[in-house]
Amino acid sequence: MRETHAVYSRKTKVMLGICWALLLLLAALMVFPAIYIILGSFKSNAELLVGGTKIFPSEWRVDNYTEAWQQANFARYTLNSVFLAVGVMVLSLISSTMAGYVFSRKEFRGKTLIYSLFLAFMFINVGSVSLRPLFELAVKLKMNKSLLSVVFISAGTGQATYIFLARGFVDSLPRELDEAAKIDGCTFVQIYRMVILPLLKPVIATIALLSFRQGWNEYILPLVFTMTNESMRPLTVGVNMLKNAGDGTAAWNIMFAGATIAIVPMLVVYCFFGRYFMSGMSAGAVKG
Amino acid sequence: MANQTKKKSGKGDSFSYMLMLLPAVLMLAVCSIYPFLWILRYVCYNYNGFTATYTGLANFKRMFSDSLFWHSVGITFEYAVLKLIFIIPLALVIAVLLNLKMKGSAVFRGIYFMPTVISTSIAGMIFAFIFATQNGIANAALQALHLIKSPIPWLNSTDFVMAAVTILAVWGGLGNYMLYFITGMNGISTDVYESAKIDGANAFQTFFFVTLPMLAPVLKVVLMLAITSAFKDYEAIMVLSKGGPGNRSMVMFLYIYNLIFGGTNTSVTQAQIGYGALLSVMAAIIVGLVTVVYMFVSKKLDHITD
Repeated sequence: MRETHAVYSRKTKVMLGICWALLLLLAALMVFPAIYIILGSFKSNAELLVGGTKIFPSEWRVDNYTEAWQQANFARYTLNSVFLAVGVMVLSLISSTMAGYVFSRKEFRGKTLIYSLFLAFMFINVGSVSLRPLFELAVKLKMNKSLLSVVFISAGTGQATYIFLARGFVDSLPRELDEAAKIDGCTFVQIYRMVILPLLKPVIATIALLSFRQGWNEYILPLVFTMTNESMRPLTVGVNMLKNAGDGTAAWNIMFAGATIAIVPMLVVYCFFGRYFMSGMSAGAVKG
Repeated sequence: MANQTKKKSGKGDSFSYMLMLLPAVLMLAVCSIYPFLWILRYVCYNYNGFTATYTGLANFKRMFSDSLFWHSVGITFEYAVLKLIFIIPLALVIAVLLNLKMKGSAVFRGIYFMPTVISTSIAGMIFAFIFATQNGIANAALQALHLIKSPIPWLNSTDFVMAAVTILAVWGGLGNYMLYFITGMNGISTDVYESAKIDGANAFQTFFFVTLPMLAPVLKVVLMLAITSAFKDYEAIMVLSKGGPGNRSMVMFLYIYNLIFGGTNTSVTQAQIGYGALLSVMAAIIVGLVTVVYMFVSKKLDHITD
């Protein structure tokens, strides 16, 4: 499959070699920040404050993690991040697969209107302002002390893309399947549950990963909701608060450890399921 | 009447689809439509989070004389241009090279895409460490290579902060655009390349006369995505430079965030929600206008190339 070009001349070979070296250099630059923060999280604070070009720690310390875990409340932050990410994932999956199925298979009044509303609000972006009314609404409903409201809003602002992905996938499934199931006596909901849903596995994997990432990486939304409520903060907010709180020289080692805790789970997930991230991104772009 | 489809559905079906659509519609109503209407309502108000007073056109007057806002609009344009002129050509070249299917292309692709799974806020923080003036590794490396004599104050100098912001933006976004281009190139049939080869085209000719024109439709969509998303970026900047120094990297959505939420970590002490709401509508209009202009220009270009 790989060898589409039969023979390379010597000149092309040299050119390709140079290109390959450049790609390698770029790859090194791209991974560098992640490697730097991960290895740096094992350095002592003194070593980090001196700086220098050494990437590997002169002495490997695990204390940074125990300190972050115990004193800086990272156990709590991690738990919150997991809750947020899983919550957004579950809610997005439920709402987008059902909506995608209905949009694909059902004709009803106002369908075009509702669908174009989803589309329109994907492009109308008023930035952080929309968080203000949502926060005030949450206060009124006494939901501002719960991460559930953050989960709901995060899923709500991200769902359009997932609905398009799900709808596109259902569109590609033959309608004869529905017809057959209908003749066998399935209702609309049963067709979804017993016929469509099992076939949606690939797109479910994509949506699950994209929404998990979205929840895990969410920053400004939880920042706004946890301004006064420290115990609700996810990792993204907790780590950055540490940076703002200190006078800058305070505890780089703790911040490095915190940042590592915030990125490594995502990187591990990416190593295993990178394919689905990529297919989701490109499908979303083509359809959206 | 309500059900004009040819299929006869059971009585329960007409309600079940509504129920299935309910979560998505509810979230749309609460998270998108409600805030949107709320913002429109407060455009003419002075609202600090506790009391709201109607002020007529005062917010509009203030907007037109608010030099900091227009400054932030300018910075947003500067940021978008800087990001695009680096990220688009680079992503395109990488996509072309990876499309040659050399050894390790899949690994390279995986590595280039990796930053997109890292939280933008954490990325901003990591780059704040890397660009630290005294003990940051960027300066240390440049000094070790004897490229600079004294450390560059990346984040504390108005001359360099946009460079730092751009580097972060390119690092974080490159993978996305690379992937869009690779996907687009997969759609080009290999026959075209075969015939180009038979006609004796070299690599550059193939790129400019085959790949680029064939990729034009994809390129147009990707550019639009890139432009609109560049105008909306502010999370990474908020963490990396907080809009400073001296508002040098204050993009408009960051300025609006500061107005809406105030607080100790921002330049605005008291929240000015009504005014912020107006500015956010203005910002949305600016993004919309840019999109329209882009679409107009790209359509014009179509006619020329035809």
